[in-house]
Amino acid sequence: MELQRLGVKFFLHQSSQLELDDLVPVFHSWIQKKVVGDHILVDVHNYSHVPRGPGILLVAHEGNFSMDSGDGRLGLFYYRKQPLEGSLESRLGHIFETTLQAARLLEEESRLGQLHFKTDEFLLVANDRLKAPNTQEVFEQLKPGLSVFLRRLLDGDDFTLSRQEEPGERLTVQVSTGCSDDAEKLLARLS
Amino acid sequence: MRPPKPAGSLLRAFLLIAIFAADPGESEMSTWKDQLAGQIDPAWAEEIDVFETQIEQRRQGKLDEKIFAETRLRRGVYGQRYDNGQRHDGIRAQEISYPSGSLTKGPETAWDAPGMQRIKIPFGGVTPDQMDVLADLAEEYSDSVLHVTTRQDFQLHFVHIDDTPDLMRRLAAAEITTREACGNSVRNVTACPLAGVCRDEPFDVTPYAIAISRFLLGHPDAQDFGRKFKIAFSGCREHACGLVSMHDMGLIAVTKNENGQEKRGFECYVGGGLGAVPHQAKLFDSFLPEEELLPTAQAIARVFARLGEKDIRSRARIKFLVANLGIDEFRRLVLEEREILSEDERWTAYLSDVRDYNERTLREGKGVNPAARPEGFQEWYKTNVYHQRQDDYGVATITLPLGDLSAWQMRELAELARRFAGENVRTTVEQNFVLRWVSQSDLPDLYQELERVGLNEPGAGSILDITACPGTDTCKLGIASSLGLAGEIRTRLAGKFMEMDEAVRNLRIKISGCFNSCGQHHIADIGFYGTSRTFSSRKVPHFQLVLGGKWTENAGSYGLAMGSVPAKRIPEVLERITERYVKERAKGQSFQDFIRDIGKLELRDSLEDLMTVPAYEEDATFYSDWGDPREFTLGDMGIGECAGEVVSLVDFDLAAAERLVFEAQVKLDEEAYPEADELAYGAMLQSARALIKTEFLDVADDPDIVVEEFRKRFYDTEIFHNRFAGGKFADYLFRRHKSPPREHTRDHAHTLVEESQLFIEAAHACWERIAQHQVAAASASGSTAGPSVQ
Ligand code: HEM
Ligand code: SF4
Repeated sequence: MELQRLGVKFFLHQSSQLELDDLVPVFHSWIQKKVVGDHILVDVHNYSHVPRGPGILLVAHEGNFSMDSGDGRLGLFYYRKQPLEGSLESRLGHIFETTLQAARLLEEESRLGQLHFKTDEFLLVANDRLKAPNTQEVFEQLKPGLSVFLRRLLDGDDFTLSRQEEPGERLTVQVSTGCSDDAEKLLARLS
Repeated sequence: MRPPKPAGSLLRAFLLIAIFAADPGESEMSTWKDQLAGQIDPAWAEEIDVFETQIEQRRQGKLDEKIFAETRLRRGVYGQRYDNGQRHDGIRAQEISYPSGSLTKGPETAWDAPGMQRIKIPFGGVTPDQMDVLADLAEEYSDSVLHVTTRQDFQLHFVHIDDTPDLMRRLAAAEITTREACGNSVRNVTACPLAGVCRDEPFDVTPYAIAISRFLLGHPDAQDFGRKFKIAFSGCREHACGLVSMHDMGLIAVTKNENGQEKRGFECYVGGGLGAVPHQAKLFDSFLPEEELLPTAQAIARVFARLGEKDIRSRARIKFLVANLGIDEFRRLVLEEREILSEDERWTAYLSDVRDYNERTLREGKGVNPAARPEGFQEWYKTNVYHQRQDDYGVATITLPLGDLSAWQMRELAELARRFAGENVRTTVEQNFVLRWVSQSDLPDLYQELERVGLNEPGAGSILDITACPGTDTCKLGIASSLGLAGEIRTRLAGKFMEMDEAVRNLRIKISGCFNSCGQHHIADIGFYGTSRTFSSRKVPHFQLVLGGKWTENAGSYGLAMGSVPAKRIPEVLERITERYVKERAKGQSFQDFIRDIGKLELRDSLEDLMTVPAYEEDATFYSDWGDPREFTLGDMGIGECAGEVVSLVDFDLAAAERLVFEAQVKLDEEAYPEADELAYGAMLQSARALIKTEFLDVADDPDIVVEEFRKRFYDTEIFHNRFAGGKFADYLFRRHKSPPREHTRDHAHTLVEESQLFIEAAHACWERIAQHQVAAASASGSTAGPSVQ
């Protein structure tokens, strides 16, 4: 078994205006229209009353989507619950693709205010304290595979990786880049 | 507990390479079972291993699904809404095609469907280290949110069954078990969150709550119940905290003087309970000496296991056994059983330490520093701080909106507990936390820190502090959205809280998504439970308004239903009732007295206009629930009109039945029990007749004929049966018809009024099913005719 429970978070750009509750009907319509590929969508849950929580949650069998503020900043968080096949890079590819597709859907959604997701900074979260405790060593081990993948995603743009060291928190890698491409462009590189 | 430290650097390096290896399955990975070996009580570890094996057996089809279902329930692994693989998405019923296919974890419960994990927290006591573990589990296996329940438990939602053994191991390593958190077993033992620091208690009930929960956990005499068994402790009779009267076994601390020595004991109650038909507990013993606590509980368990109902689930709680036998006979049987029990040293072994039980106080208590008062502190202090009987210490209530907090908040709160309150954290039955033993001088700092983590809401125990069950959000039985309504009411009231009249601020609201009353609506000043009504073949979410229940005096009295209000009008109803209370109440008049004085008839009249539903074309918002944009409707507008006409005939008769039961409530309040009984019975007959008339218009109104026709047409055919409750509501009518009460007591009349209300609800639901069926049949045959009346 290898590390499977990985998550990705793309932050909302400051200029974005979002009433969290407005996402509820949007996520419901995703279920109605089955718009998320490879996912069995189950239900929507409104946690907007919980500070630093998952906000509005779309539960799927394979992984959950949420407009999350768990780390204090609002963003689209997707984390995988069911295992994927293949190498770390290909698993990352799958997870990023799913997240970016969801981000694109939200950016295009006319029922929401203009949303934009930042691509110059995002997070990779290892949601598994057994296999990936939040230590420097594990971070070092993760770096090579992650870097290979990021070079593809960012098409050669420079990036830096740093680990968030808050005690008790999951291993979280912050990726910072000079990338100014939007979610659509990044997505195109993954298909 | 923090993440485990890997054993050695070589091994660690090996593991890490394996984790990120491109090729899965080549290396042997460590598991939680390995990691936590030696850190878990061996008996608990074995139980979890057995459960893991049972999961595997079930997966391979070697364990019956019903047996597996009860097995997992007894480990706190619950089903969740949509786990039958069906969900109405607002347009149509969609199949959720889980990869597990036909594999089930119980009848009609898909294996892969997300479920709920309940985590038992005896007396609500958690340590900061345990809070850290709970936060980790919420993130890794659930949705990063922890939910505190009305019985001091935690719940995690959207958990996959395959993750539950590891989840349980990690809890077990932190000395928490999920065993018997659900299922037909002794559930979490609850206790006042102020036990040990309360100014009113004669002694601290905590060590007794610990002793009884340990003693009964997995006890062989407590494994064969027909239904769950709940125990609660209270420090005193007058205050609400323990809610003793609504428990299967309730214990209130009392002392007496024997030969100049203070003797500890309990006022012991049995047979209380909420549920569809609430019962007040009966006094079993006014002084149960402390050394008799465990053997008596054991004897009660044995009598309940032996004589309690097993087949009819709806009559299986001990309250029915106590009601059937009478409290005197029940007591006699228990005492007889007590005599023949073989001596067990655990009965009294713990007593030698009970008087030394003392929660550690880390910090020296000092009075509040008057200089440092952050903004907002004063309001919070007024509602959220309790002065302990120990000088200079306070209890701070951490109010949780809808009982929820995020994993991050939980971790931060654990840190604050370490800093300000030592190990002394408890959950409360109002779905909050309390930090005990906080030095008064630390309160301003604590407040500031709570503000930083978003846990500084004032209004503990106020109208803002709404209790709600999971309702349609996650519960399979939910009819209307209790959480959605609670959220809406909270948002509306929060803005006006500071300007609110003190009397209104102190009211309590409790909401259940259906009649099962998990949200404890019976004991609220203002309670609601979810129902539904059909208008022109579209469904409209409603809530029954239940007024005048009592939270104080250990849930001293239960409220009665006033009528169904469309969900979308509830905020207006609330506003109207509270405004009237502020304007018209006599000085110091309680809400219960106020309601009683106005009289239910007049109150209902004053709300009549809010019980109407506009046509769909006029205002479609009524046809969806709070917080859920999906439409409630299952009907088709094209056919609606014809169906509507016929529906209105039945609806008319059912409304008449509602009116009768309403009058029965009024009579009950006037203590006119024979009349209340007759009216409640009449209401059931009336609604049964309403249904019969859909098939046989000229049915006579002789009760014998109505009951006979109803039995033949609706009961024997199971048309009246509810998918979950079976024919239980029909039994209410049959029982009353066959055996009218020999003597008229308040208890009898109250029960019948409740039953009658439920019977009418069931008649509504039955008619809705018939109408849908007929509409579907009509559209399939191309006809535009609605349900026919002959
Ligand atoms: C026929 C089925 C059910 C009946 C009769 C029933 C009844 C009750 C009653 C009377 C209470 C409690 C009040 C108390 O003692 O504090 C309760 C508590 C509760 N019920 Fe139910 N319930 C049923 C099914 C469910 C289901 C399916 C769910 C949703 C998953 C649920 C969720 C809860 C919760 C969250 C609590 C408070 C928690 C606790 O015990 O820790 N109940 N139930
Ligand atoms: S009251 Fe009804 S809806 Fe609410 S949790 Fe209980 S069974 Fe579910």
